[in-house]
Amino acid sequence: MPERDQTMKVGDYEVPEGLYYTKEHEWVKLEGNTCRIGISDYAQKSLHEVVFVDLPKVGTQMIQSQSLGSVESVKAVADVYAPVSGEISEVNLRLTDTPELVNQHPYGDGWIAVVKPSRLEVEIKNLLDAKGYADFLKTQMK
Amino acid sequence: MTEFAGFEMPVWYDSIVSECRAVRNSVGIFDVSHMGRAVISGEDSTSFLDYVTTNDVAALTVNRAHYSLICNEDGGIVDDVVIDKLAENQYLMVFNAGNRDKDLGWLKKKAEPFSVNIKHVSDQVSMFAVQGPNAQQVMEQVCGEDLSSIPRFGERSLDLEGMKLTVTRTGYTGEDGFEVFTWGAPSEDPSRAVAVWSEILDHGKAFHIQPCGLGARDILRLEAGMCLYGNDITESTSPLQARLSFVVKLTKSEFIGRDALAREKAQGVKKVRVGLKVLDAGIPRAECPLLKDSQVVGKVTSGTFSPTMSQGIAMGYIPREYSKVGENLLVEVRGKKLRAAVVGFPFYDTSKYGWQRTKK
Repeated sequence: MPERDQTMKVGDYEVPEGLYYTKEHEWVKLEGNTCRIGISDYAQKSLHEVVFVDLPKVGTQMIQSQSLGSVESVKAVADVYAPVSGEISEVNLRLTDTPELVNQHPYGDGWIAVVKPSRLEVEIKNLLDAKGYADFLKTQMK
Repeated sequence: MTEFAGFEMPVWYDSIVSECRAVRNSVGIFDVSHMGRAVISGEDSTSFLDYVTTNDVAALTVNRAHYSLICNEDGGIVDDVVIDKLAENQYLMVFNAGNRDKDLGWLKKKAEPFSVNIKHVSDQVSMFAVQGPNAQQVMEQVCGEDLSSIPRFGERSLDLEGMKLTVTRTGYTGEDGFEVFTWGAPSEDPSRAVAVWSEILDHGKAFHIQPCGLGARDILRLEAGMCLYGNDITESTSPLQARLSFVVKLTKSEFIGRDALAREKAQGVKKVRVGLKVLDAGIPRAECPLLKDSQVVGKVTSGTFSPTMSQGIAMGYIPREYSKVGENLLVEVRGKKLRAAVVGFPFYDTSKYGWQRTKK
């Protein structure tokens, strides 16, 4: 995935503009009729070395805020919550063999899944933009 | 940094995975000064230690150490310890950081009828672990002496620039290596401890020594099949269940817990600690249920991703009838049932890893 647009920095953590975010540290990228999702730089750095990603199955119907899978590091495990409701249309199978992509390129090759959203117009209001997420991160770091 | 038993300690310095690799392939150093240490001396010190621990202290010769257990009257494990015989009637006991107060209280209470002196030295003696196949070479350069004649669980006193050191060929990683005690290195004035740490790091550079944190320490001991007190062994587990009977000498003189353990042995041990390798993708963690034929038969007490084997490993307690190596079970991880096989300890291939590979 190309990492375009501008990127804000909050402490050590990158927050690219043009994406939407959740307070559980997922990001959402609108790509036409679908949404690509992953976990933020803050999330991957907090987890440390990712060694396993439990991916959802293509075709699974997700409801916003429901766990769609998990990302595990050597010492910790974190749920990945669906930032939007919809059907999983694609998962990043490269993470099966190279889960460290989540650490290396959290906003790029470390993406987790693509969702066909069903209620995006309503649910997008529950998401943060880059500025909102950056402000939220600042409160988390205090 | 994380809090562990009241100490601020790093979970990792650089990366848990690379720290584990350094220890398995070359050498790593751990600051384990949080561990409890006591010097036990006096004319009854041998009989006292034989009474409060399960291994045979009378059989220890000077400059030798052994792994042992403190048990309560019911045979439950109060703590697991290493006892090092420094001299006749003088022992160094190393115990778990989280059990400092409990152990000292227990030992002092049980010591009443004996002529012994129990001196708590945890905060006066620093402790580092230098672990890995190149640990001996690094320590030889640090001390300027040949250490090859020190056997596993052997000990030697050394002088390093006027500081008195005791090194024991022990550790909590499964690898060859030493634990280095610096006497007269109080925690409130860490200058001597820091000097020793720096010296080891300097000489270790040629071997790419890595400082290692608690994360690597926990994984390395689990890969070696070693117990973590509080997780894998507690006051409600017995040494027989934990498969630690190699340090329980039922035929030695009277000791606390002996009758209960002899009874348990005669009646047969119901549940035992086993190692499990996960065959599906996933990482078992403490408290995950273990299933046999869709019945919950036990639970995981420690689990992790093993960087050495690149798979999930765990230990837990299950009924004896399912404990044979090769037995298949399921471990339930976050709602998913993963296939797991019972394996022996240590988890890794002992021809490639562990202290025994260096022994030809």
